Amino acid sequence: MKEQSSRPSRRTWAGAVASGLAICTAMGLGTGVSAASPHANASSKPIVVWVDSARLAMVHAWQQANPSVKLDVVTFDGGSGGDGSIQSMVGLDNRTGHGWPDIVFSENANDVQSLGQAPFNFPATLNNGLVSNAILNNFTAGVNDPCMIGKKLECLRNDLGFDVLWVNVPLMKQFGYTIPTTWQQWQAIGEDVAKHHPGYIIGEQGVPWDEDIYLQPAQCHLNDVVAPFVVESNPKDPNCTNMTKLLDPLLKDGSVPIANDFGSTFAKQYGGKVLLTVGPAYDSRAIFEGPGSALNSPKGTYEAAAPLKWAGAKQTWTGNVGGGLWILSSHSSQLAAAAKVMVGLATSTVSQDQSQGYPGYAPAAKSWIAIQDKSGLFARPLAPVFAAAAPLIWPDWSQTPWNVFSLWGQNVVPNLVSGSTVTSQLSVMATAIANSAQNYGYQVKG
Amino acid sequence: MTLAHTISLPAPTRAQSRAGRRRAGGRQRTGYIFVSVYLVLLLLFGVVPTLYALYLAFTKTNQPWHWAGLSNFLKTGRDYRFIPAFEHIAIYLAIWLTMLVVVVLFLALMLHGGVRRVVPAFRFVFYIPGALAGAASVVVWAFMLEPELSPWHFALSSIFHFAGFQSVILPQHLPPVFAVIAFWTGAGGWIVVMNGALNNISDEVIDSARIDGANALQLALRVKLPLIKKWVVYMLILAFATGTQLIVEPTLLEPASFGTISSYWSPNQLAYWFATQMDNFNYAAAISVDLLFVGLVAAGLLVFRSKFFELD
Repeated sequence: MKEQSSRPSRRTWAGAVASGLAICTAMGLGTGVSAASPHANASSKPIVVWVDSARLAMVHAWQQANPSVKLDVVTFDGGSGGDGSIQSMVGLDNRTGHGWPDIVFSENANDVQSLGQAPFNFPATLNNGLVSNAILNNFTAGVNDPCMIGKKLECLRNDLGFDVLWVNVPLMKQFGYTIPTTWQQWQAIGEDVAKHHPGYIIGEQGVPWDEDIYLQPAQCHLNDVVAPFVVESNPKDPNCTNMTKLLDPLLKDGSVPIANDFGSTFAKQYGGKVLLTVGPAYDSRAIFEGPGSALNSPKGTYEAAAPLKWAGAKQTWTGNVGGGLWILSSHSSQLAAAAKVMVGLATSTVSQDQSQGYPGYAPAAKSWIAIQDKSGLFARPLAPVFAAAAPLIWPDWSQTPWNVFSLWGQNVVPNLVSGSTVTSQLSVMATAIANSAQNYGYQVKG
Repeated sequence: MTLAHTISLPAPTRAQSRAGRRRAGGRQRTGYIFVSVYLVLLLLFGVVPTLYALYLAFTKTNQPWHWAGLSNFLKTGRDYRFIPAFEHIAIYLAIWLTMLVVVVLFLALMLHGGVRRVVPAFRFVFYIPGALAGAASVVVWAFMLEPELSPWHFALSSIFHFAGFQSVILPQHLPPVFAVIAFWTGAGGWIVVMNGALNNISDEVIDSARIDGANALQLALRVKLPLIKKWVVYMLILAFATGTQLIVEPTLLEPASFGTISSYWSPNQLAYWFATQMDNFNYAAAISVDLLFVGLVAAGLLVFRSKFFELD
């Protein structure tokens, strides 16, 4: 109550300053403030959008196509790497009772799980009519699962980071390998590469997102929310140990070494030596091909192949590394207008064509992938592989208030770097998950 | 030791207060005016936040004026990250404080005993790293520690055999790594301060020691060092306080490490996590008060053991 009653006075004060400034501008004292667009609704406040620098191109493209809507775009780190910057800022805004953005972009697929609950209670619920079902139904199946708090949809997924197998076509031909379809075939290639072509690699590990590349497709129940506030975390699950046992010899023989393809020295160390790698869809332009990519390979070097299957399994599942979220503030004073802007950013082709990752909104994804393939950078069109892989993300690697990336990075990676086996780290990870889960009031099942 | 009594020690606040007592009237007023600027800042950004932290630490989460007794301290103390954070800081402090005292005094004494002509140049060189703002210097270190990019590539790869950045910043390496960073950014300033203290020693004292047959080493250890002892204690008190509050180094190296450095490496980071990620300022305040307590105890011990405030 106190906060609410103090708000109008602040606005009046801010209004006075703003009109003062306007007078100065009118008198020619201003420094190049442009006149408002004729379409703009002069009385409405701009819609405040917080995005990371990677999403700026999307917002600018959308703004250009919709000049009548006033946006106030603020760049921030996007909560990069689970650093919790959105939580910090929302927490402070909650205390002061003002200052929330209308729309915020998060780089972390799990952010709504903490922002959507006490003490933050930040996002507006979208599936109660604010966003039409016609739009929601067009998202690729399961894509908005990280946005669900119970039955309430509290964000829109921007992009997906499903894993595919990336293949260096000329190298595979030169070494005489055929593209693997199962994890077991992939492992066999790794062991052969270590023997006959040392220095070449078929993947990487020792990064915070290892678990999304290897444990999630293996259907490992290490971070599976089975009921509200109950997480199953079983380091002895054979699905987990089968995968880690497959990885251990490859870590030892150097065919899947400790390496980070987003690190500053990756190209120097492994440029031209990445024979295969399992990685997210957005690796296409970030790592492999095109200007600005880490490896910047000659046109037609890489192609995407279907996600690997576990030999003998009925169904192929894949992992997912990240994929950002658009979150609408429940505190927005112009909820409907802000919702429209957010839907535009998350679904329109004008915005999504600029996306770095595979759009979660299926019609936008079609357009996005067509642009990727038009570039002719890849040995084979990505479209059929991506379209088939997108719905294969294993759903039981849950998005939780704690950031699994961070837990793996802080608790497991240093041990892997020091020479531990991956298998020995499952219990370390389970302990880390249990500690965090209890912090957030979750019950942990073994 | 009788010599020491003839020298007025360059402790500024005491000198001011003594001068204030002796001279009355206008001078005294001028003194108050000078002090008032500091006093206002101290109240606003030192005393008031400390009182607020004490209030938060002893009240219930988000329930103003509901006394919580010691429960915030017990809850944070039982957190699985609490003991490791304090362990990290203890190892870090042991390395850093030893390095600080030994190297700063060594360099300051060398500087003071050296050729007068080159002293200003060296003093300037020692000070340069400290002139870089704290955060910027940590970013510099993010590059220094990456074997592929570092100008010390040779040392990191061939002497220490680090395979990459990740093996440089393994958890067991972090206390010495942070100590080196803190030393590099902070020691220069202290060398200059110690040099100033040494310059205050009157030439007669040094000359008479020389006439009595003291060599350079004896002069440094038996004459100069005892005379600047209080400055060393002063440095230790401040360094201990800043050391226990370590936050910038681990926080800035964390993103550079792609998240392999813990976000709760130091107690201050843990407090920050409670405040920002759990929106629990009361828990954060409890950890801050823990740190205040540790700092006060350490300062108290140093002050009493060294008779810091005793007048000559």
